[in-house]
Amino acid sequence: MIAKKVLLVGNFGVGKTSLIRRFVLNEFSEDYISTIGVRVSKKVVEYENETIKLMIWDVAGTSGNEKIPKAYFLGAHAAMFVFDVSREETYLTIDENLQMVKELSGLQNITIVGNKKDLLTQKELNKVIEQVSVNIDLITSAKENDNVEAAFMQLTAQTLN
Amino acid sequence: MIPAKIEAIFIQITTDFSGVIQNIDAGKFAKNEFSLQESIYEVCPFLEGTVEALETNKPFLLEGMVIVSNNKEYNVDIELFKTENSIEIIIHNRTNVYKIVDQLNQNRNDIFFIKREIAEKNKELDRLRKIADKANEEKSRFLAMMSHEIRNPLNSILGYAELISAEKLTDSVADYIKNLSSAGTNLKVIVDDILDLSRIEAGKLQLASEKISIRNIIQNCENDFKHQQKNEKATLKFYVSNNIPQFLIGDSVRIHQILSNLIGNAIKFTEKGIIKTAVKVVSEDKNEVKILFSVSDTGRGMSDQQITKIFEEYQQNKLSDNRIKGGAGLGLAIVNRLVHAMKGKISVESKLNIGTIFFVEIPFKIVANTITQPLTSHSVKPLINLKEKKILVADDDTLNLTIVSHFLAKEKAEITMVKDGLEALSKIETSSFDVILLDINMPNMTGEELVKKLNIFQEFNAKTPILALTANTTEEDIKRYKDIGFSGVISKPFTSEIFLKKIQEVL
Repeated sequence: MIAKKVLLVGNFGVGKTSLIRRFVLNEFSEDYISTIGVRVSKKVVEYENETIKLMIWDVAGTSGNEKIPKAYFLGAHAAMFVFDVSREETYLTIDENLQMVKELSGLQNITIVGNKKDLLTQKELNKVIEQVSVNIDLITSAKENDNVEAAFMQLTAQTLN
Repeated sequence: MIPAKIEAIFIQITTDFSGVIQNIDAGKFAKNEFSLQESIYEVCPFLEGTVEALETNKPFLLEGMVIVSNNKEYNVDIELFKTENSIEIIIHNRTNVYKIVDQLNQNRNDIFFIKREIAEKNKELDRLRKIADKANEEKSRFLAMMSHEIRNPLNSILGYAELISAEKLTDSVADYIKNLSSAGTNLKVIVDDILDLSRIEAGKLQLASEKISIRNIIQNCENDFKHQQKNEKATLKFYVSNNIPQFLIGDSVRIHQILSNLIGNAIKFTEKGIIKTAVKVVSEDKNEVKILFSVSDTGRGMSDQQITKIFEEYQQNKLSDNRIKGGAGLGLAIVNRLVHAMKGKISVESKLNIGTIFFVEIPFKIVANTITQPLTSHSVKPLINLKEKKILVADDDTLNLTIVSHFLAKEKAEITMVKDGLEALSKIETSSFDVILLDINMPNMTGEELVKKLNIFQEFNAKTPILALTANTTEEDIKRYKDIGFSGVISKPFTSEIFLKKIQEVL
């Protein structure tokens, strides 16, 4: 079994902790407690006949151009950038934010996930997709367990590239 | 020797490159969680994948990590140092420091979400306000339409009552007619009040800003009420201070309305004694003068509890008041709003069974180069004789047409009556008139359409004044009529005095 370190980053309140809780424990809570510091969760996944232990870093959410400590990325194999489809400010400067994550982590590809799709109608969602200046890998809902597994599988795939 | 307090907040551990604990070097923080020859990754999962990537002989710091000991979470900072054959790890318990950061962060995020929620609620409130505004506009439109519909038959009621009262009548019939007129007049006041209030509520009240004379307004009030006041036990008195500027900038119609309302109320509720209206200057500078109007009576007065409610709509102090005294209880609500619209203040002092004083203080702009003048008596022009004056009257309402013809016949005018716009058009094209009176809402051709046809007036009536006879009495309506060519408007319902006065003004 191989261990892979992956990080979830993005603005505060976008649902990083909820995505991890849904993926690792299959749980969801409406309560919002902002994450301080880093909690690491483990989950063993099977991907293309490989058993992989994912070390998932839940990094505290940032605000605006706040930087994530570079030390967190040491040894990271992949990263997921999460934004909230219902909050414009979490994806308006996604270009700059992604560039910053790439520079800090040294990773070339980042999985881009838009969370909280349950808060929008399909029409509103399409508008957001049009507005986001980069390719979104997956639109998820941690609350409704929609596409969460797929998002982490994509992240796992990235660890093997 | 390390002091116990220091030992309790850190632990120093040596592991091999795969994270197996080789030695616990110093410190006692979370010591129970760590055992020799076991993996440090169980307690510090964040080290798995990280230590492998460390550079040799280069210190490395990981801040704000979370570990669990005895089912309790701790925030720790980790110092790592990789040597040729081991990894030195120092774990600092920084929970207390991070607790503050935690609170600050949570607060910051909470504030953000509260702000967002407020912004959303504000949007919702804005939407609801627009809906309410629209509903209010609809209400005002409905009231304006209803008042128009009421004014037309009211004109007939008041007109005929006036005509009948001029006939030879028995005492009892004269009494009935008097009551009929009084009821009709009260109804007119109510309709006007409702319309005024709806106009104010819809924000459509536009105050005029014109040169006015306070003395003339008071004189007009005096003339009006002298005729209305029939109670010999109550005396009306008017005082105007000598230093009131001759001219000021304001809205004379609305000032008159405010005073008429207060004086009218005082008359209603004073069985005997004095009703005094006084005007004086409160303060003055080069641009503005504050004037205090007071209306006092020796009537039944009010309790403190009654005073708190008198400026509310549909408020009359006794349930029977609206039956005995008339009105819908809107007068003071309107006065209050008018005074505030003029940036003024209104207050009241009252004692039960002694009397009431209303104070209205209004700031007025001063007209440059004005001089103060003593009160001069208001002169009322005698009504002109309409003998041989040719007057065309067009109205599809037979009752109204008859009333108008009676009023004019009394003055010996030569009347031509038609029942619609087309008939009026043919008369205008073929005969000359001294005055043309046009109803607005007529079949075949409305009064407005007729006035717009300028060429039909060319030959015989190029300079003939045209008056609109209408129940559409909003300021916008009146302005529109004047803009398209009417010389003036006679608002329904009207008395013969008002009707003839309006004709006199244009002749």
